[in-house]
Amino acid sequence: VTVDVAVDLSVDLGRGLVLRNPVLVASGTFGYGTEYADVVDIQRLGAICCKGTTLRPRVGNAPPRVTETPAGMLNSIGLQNPGVAGVLEKYAPRWASWDVPVIVNVAGESVEDYVEVARRLDGQPGVAGIELNISCPNVGKGGLQFALDPEAAAEVTAAVRAATDLPLMVKLSPAATDIRAIARAIEKAGADAISAVNTLSGMAIDLQRRRPLLGNTYGGLSGPALKPVALRVVYEVAQVV
Amino acid sequence: VKLLAAELLETREFLPRQWLQTYSAPWLASSAKPGQFVHVRTPDYSGLVLRRPFSLNTFDRQTGQVTIHFRITGRGTEWLARMRPGDSAEMLGPLGRPFEVDPKTRHMLLVAGGLGMAGVRSLVDSAIADGRQVLVLFGAVTASDVYPSTLLPPEAEYVVSTDDGSFGHAGRVTELVPLHEAWADQCFACGPQPMLAALANLARGRDGRLGVARLNRRGGPRSAPLGSPTARRRSWLQVSMEQNMGCAVGACLGCVVGGVDGPQRVCREGPVFAANEIRWEGWA
Repeated sequence: VTVDVAVDLSVDLGRGLVLRNPVLVASGTFGYGTEYADVVDIQRLGAICCKGTTLRPRVGNAPPRVTETPAGMLNSIGLQNPGVAGVLEKYAPRWASWDVPVIVNVAGESVEDYVEVARRLDGQPGVAGIELNISCPNVGKGGLQFALDPEAAAEVTAAVRAATDLPLMVKLSPAATDIRAIARAIEKAGADAISAVNTLSGMAIDLQRRRPLLGNTYGGLSGPALKPVALRVVYEVAQVV
Repeated sequence: VKLLAAELLETREFLPRQWLQTYSAPWLASSAKPGQFVHVRTPDYSGLVLRRPFSLNTFDRQTGQVTIHFRITGRGTEWLARMRPGDSAEMLGPLGRPFEVDPKTRHMLLVAGGLGMAGVRSLVDSAIADGRQVLVLFGAVTASDVYPSTLLPPEAEYVVSTDDGSFGHAGRVTELVPLHEAWADQCFACGPQPMLAALANLARGRDGRLGVARLNRRGGPRSAPLGSPTARRRSWLQVSMEQNMGCAVGACLGCVVGGVDGPQRVCREGPVFAANEIRWEGWA
């Protein structure tokens, strides 16, 4: 017996970006989508947020880059990526043939970086939207500083908004003191959607070597350990935007 | 590549804190190649979020069985060691790129340090099945950690060294390599990073004068892209590398090692590399 349970799970993120369902894979966990094609049917996802993309290629941080911690893990990849030109050349043509939309996660060291990457992504087949990564804890410059201050978050959001007509999502950091103020500022600056949350900076020690376990000392905490924090952020943000 | 449950058939601690487990995993046994690995999750979700990578120690197409060999080093391996026959583990695989054996190769030198035996062990079986001669050089810290010769096929020649001299040659396993390098058409190694670096240094010092590389001087294309199967086959030394791993399918970029062409994913470009692909000192 088959029962027709046609439930509408679609989600409208604005500017024409309608997801068939609300299941998204977070940036960094899923590469460019192609890597998992052998393992799962990626076309069933609501959307894929691809690996953080910067203006120029980055080699990332020294290994080890991941380590397990109680009920979670730390990662410190350091935004390794081939740069926006490399991503557009290598992956966008394949994305264009997929049913599942790909939202390109964009990272930068300055407002100008973000704007330039957004400009290059604008109108490219296969790019369904932009997620501003203003909350990466694993890079020296840029990243997190934009996610902790409402004015800085608004500045980069507005600048990117002016540079592209693509649907624009901004990713929050759980490290912000007043997440409501950040969310309000981002919404006012023209973002279509907010994603929550990035990882929280942490570290782990190899007791025998008496050294940090990660090559970069610090890493971003994710996993079940972070989920209650993420839920609190979602709860607070949902009340104000 | 498939993600399926594999039933544990047999488990034993064959050396102090070192375990050998046999699983029923026909999909792995039928498609795996020597050098590939499997990503294993314990059946319990409590707190363990990452799968653990293990070399496919042996695999048997006839029986559909695979074995993994590990030392208890943390919570994941502790959990695995507590499993009992009849329990299941979730296995993703086979993963990674295999060792590349040149068709012309007659003599295979395998160098293993400690748990590195698991990385080259399946190559012993395939080499013997293909009618090649195999010499395994094995290094351990002390006699109680020496891999038992009874776990190797009798056709394989086996030479042991221990750091403290309590069994076999006293010293590093790499010290044995010069005695056998001229005999070996190809060399395959797995073990601690310093051991692999010492081997790579030795191989570099004899560039082009060892193994099947000499045979490729005449005819055929002279150069193959770094990292290609052809280039790896022509390299005298291939190494199986280890790194903390996240997804094991190439997505998270967690398991990289430094390569001469930039970061290399152990799960995707590796775990086997030609020695000249790796930056042995420094990073990037």
